[in-house]
Amino acid sequence: MFLAFFYKLKEVGVPVSPTAFLTLHRALANHLIATLDEFYTASRSILVKSERYFDLFDQVFAYHFQGIELPDVEGLEIDEMARAMLEQWLTDPKVMADALGIDEKQLNRMTPEELIAYFKERLKEQDGRHDGGNKWIGTGGTSPVGHSGYHPGGMRVGGVSRNKSAVKVAMDRRYKDYSLSGPLTQAMVGEALKRLRNMVPAGPKDQLNIDESIYRTMKNAGEIEIAFDRRMKDRLKVILAIDNGGWSMEPYVTVVQTLFDYARAQFKEVRTFFFHNTIYNTLWKDSARYRQPVTMTELVGMDPETRFIVVGDASMAPYELMSRDGSIYVQDRSGKPSIECLRMLAHTFPHNAWLNPASAIMWNYTRTINMIRQIYPMFELSIDGLEKAVQHLMAA
Amino acid sequence: MTAQHADASFGGATRYILDEELAQIVNISMALEMPLLLKGEPGTGKTMLAHAIAESLNMPLIVLNVKSSMKLVEGLYQYDTLTRLNDSRFGDSQRNVSDIEEYIKMGKIGQAFAADKRTVLLIDEIDKADTDFQDDMLDVLDQMEFDIIEVDKTVSARHRPVIIITSNAKKDLSDPFLGRCNFHHIAFPDPKMMRKIIGVHFPSIHDELAENAIAAFYRMRDLEAVEKRPATRELINWIRALDADPDFKPKRLTKGDLPFLGVLFKKSGDYERASTFVNRRKIF
Repeated sequence: MFLAFFYKLKEVGVPVSPTAFLTLHRALANHLIATLDEFYTASRSILVKSERYFDLFDQVFAYHFQGIELPDVEGLEIDEMARAMLEQWLTDPKVMADALGIDEKQLNRMTPEELIAYFKERLKEQDGRHDGGNKWIGTGGTSPVGHSGYHPGGMRVGGVSRNKSAVKVAMDRRYKDYSLSGPLTQAMVGEALKRLRNMVPAGPKDQLNIDESIYRTMKNAGEIEIAFDRRMKDRLKVILAIDNGGWSMEPYVTVVQTLFDYARAQFKEVRTFFFHNTIYNTLWKDSARYRQPVTMTELVGMDPETRFIVVGDASMAPYELMSRDGSIYVQDRSGKPSIECLRMLAHTFPHNAWLNPASAIMWNYTRTINMIRQIYPMFELSIDGLEKAVQHLMAA
Repeated sequence: MTAQHADASFGGATRYILDEELAQIVNISMALEMPLLLKGEPGTGKTMLAHAIAESLNMPLIVLNVKSSMKLVEGLYQYDTLTRLNDSRFGDSQRNVSDIEEYIKMGKIGQAFAADKRTVLLIDEIDKADTDFQDDMLDVLDQMEFDIIEVDKTVSARHRPVIIITSNAKKDLSDPFLGRCNFHHIAFPDPKMMRKIIGVHFPSIHDELAENAIAAFYRMRDLEAVEKRPATRELINWIRALDADPDFKPKRLTKGDLPFLGVLFKKSGDYERASTFVNRRKIF
C-alpha cells in the first residue's frame, strides 16, 4: 500500500527509510489512521524527519492524493526568467528591445500578460535553458551584475529572480520557508553556524575529573587524590568581511544582515569588517566605510587560526580586481592590485571561505567570480552552502 | 499498555492550546510507542506540550534537562563512587559499603523506567549534548532497558514511558536516531491561535486589549534584523504588564504607542531598534 507514494518521495529527494515506511504500515494496521487528514499528519511525522523536507512532502502529497502536478523545474525557471525580463522591460524598455532585437514600439503595444508570454516564447527558443551566454542577455565580457551604481545595461536576471518563486501550487505549502531552497532565516543561519565551534580547554583547573581522581586514588592505595581539569571553552575567532556597497549587493542586504546579526550573538570573538566590491589596502570597521579603517598590516598580524569569511557577490568590473589602481575610490591608492591583497589575506588565514549570495549556477558567467574562486573556496549563501562552508572551515 | 484505550488519548490541557495536527501526532506516537521529536522556534511550546500531556493523561512527568557535557549514563543511573570511597575510609554512615547497589542512584530515564505507572519522559534540548549521547540512547530507546554494569543488573521499563524529545537544532541529530522517532516541527502560532493561547492565560482579559496587543506584537515580530525576536512568553508578560498599568488604554496600541517595549525586546540593540521604529511611526 502506498508504495508509489513512498517511491515518489524518495525520487524527489526526501530521505525516507523503509523502516519508517513499515512503521507507517504498523499504524495503518492498528487502525490508528482513519481519514486522509490523519494519514497526512501521521505519514509526515513518521516518514519525514526534518522540517526542511516538509514542503517537498506537501507537494508530493498533493500530487499523489489530489492529482496536483508537481512543478517541473524547467517551467519554473522559465517563469522566473520571464518575470525578470518583464521587470527589466519596465525599468528600461529600450535596452530590452535592443537585446531581443525587436522594435521597442512593437513591445510597447503588448499588455504585461502578452509580454510575459512573448518572453517565455523567446526563452523556449533557446537551446540551452537559460544561461548568461545567450546573446541577448548581454554579458558581452563584462560583469552582468553591474558595479558601483552605474551599469544599467547589465541584466540582472540571476540575482533578482532566484530569491523569488513563481510556483503556484494548489496546496498551502506552509513549510516552504523551511525547505532547502527557501530564503535564509535567522534560525537557519544559526543552525548552520552553530557547527562552527572549536572547543579547547582554557582557564583555571576548576573542574573535578572523577575518573582520573578514582584512578589516582587507587594508585595511591586508597589515599584520596583529587584531579582537576580545565573547562572546555570555545576559542574560535572569526573575521567576517562583508561587501556592503553598491547596488550589486543590494538584493542580498537582508540576507547578509541576518548572517551578521547572528554571528554577533554566536561567537565570543567575531570581528566584522566592511568593504566595497573587493578588498584593497583597507577594510572598515564601520559600515559607512569612512571612519575606522583597518589596514592590511594590522590584519596580517592577527591570529592565523582565525576563520576568515568573506561575504560578497565577487562581481565587479575586471579592472577593479586586476589593475594596480583599480579601486573605484580615489583615496585608495595602494599601488597593488586588489587580487594581490585577496591572495595575501588567504595566505594569512589558511581557514577561509567566500560566501556568495548569487546563485552558484550563475557564477560561471562572471569573470571576477571565477578569478576569486581560484583563491577562495566559494560557497553559495544558502543553508546548503553555509553548511558546506562551515564544514570546510572546520576541517583540519 | 494498549494505547487504544479511549481514555488514554490526548486532547489538550488547561493551560495549553493544542492544534489538531499535533494532537494526532501525539496520539499516534503514543499508540506506536515511539518517541516524538519536536523542533521549532523557542516559545512555540515544545516543552509545554510534555507538561500538558502529563496533566491531561494524569501521568507523572519526569524531565531530563540535557546539558552540553552530559553523558547518557548520567540520565540512566549514577554510581556514587566518591561516597562509597568516603564511607569505606571513614565508615561513619549507615550504608553497607560492600553492597554496591546502595550507591546506585537512578537518573531521570532510570526513574521513568522504574516507575510504577506509565510516565511522561521529557528529554529537553537533546541537541545540546554530543552525538555520542544520542547514539547511546538509541539502544536504550529500542530495547527499553539498560544495564547497570557495576552490579550486573538490567533495568527494563515496567511501562513504556511516553517520550517527548525537544531540539533547538543546535546540532543535527543523527539519522539512526531520527529513524526511531516521529517528528514534528511546531510552527510559530498564527494570530488566531495566539488569541486562543492568550485567552487560556488570561481568561478574563478584555477583547480589545488582547486583539490590539496581539496585532502590535506581530507587527513588532516582523521587524527586520532583530537578534532575539519576541516569542509567546514575551507576549504573555507584555500583556500582563499592560494589564497591570492602570493608566493604560488599549486604543493607544492601534496608534502605534507601545509602552514597556523592554518586556518584548531584551537585547539592548533590539530594544533601540524597536523603539526608534515605534517613535518613527508615532510622528507620521
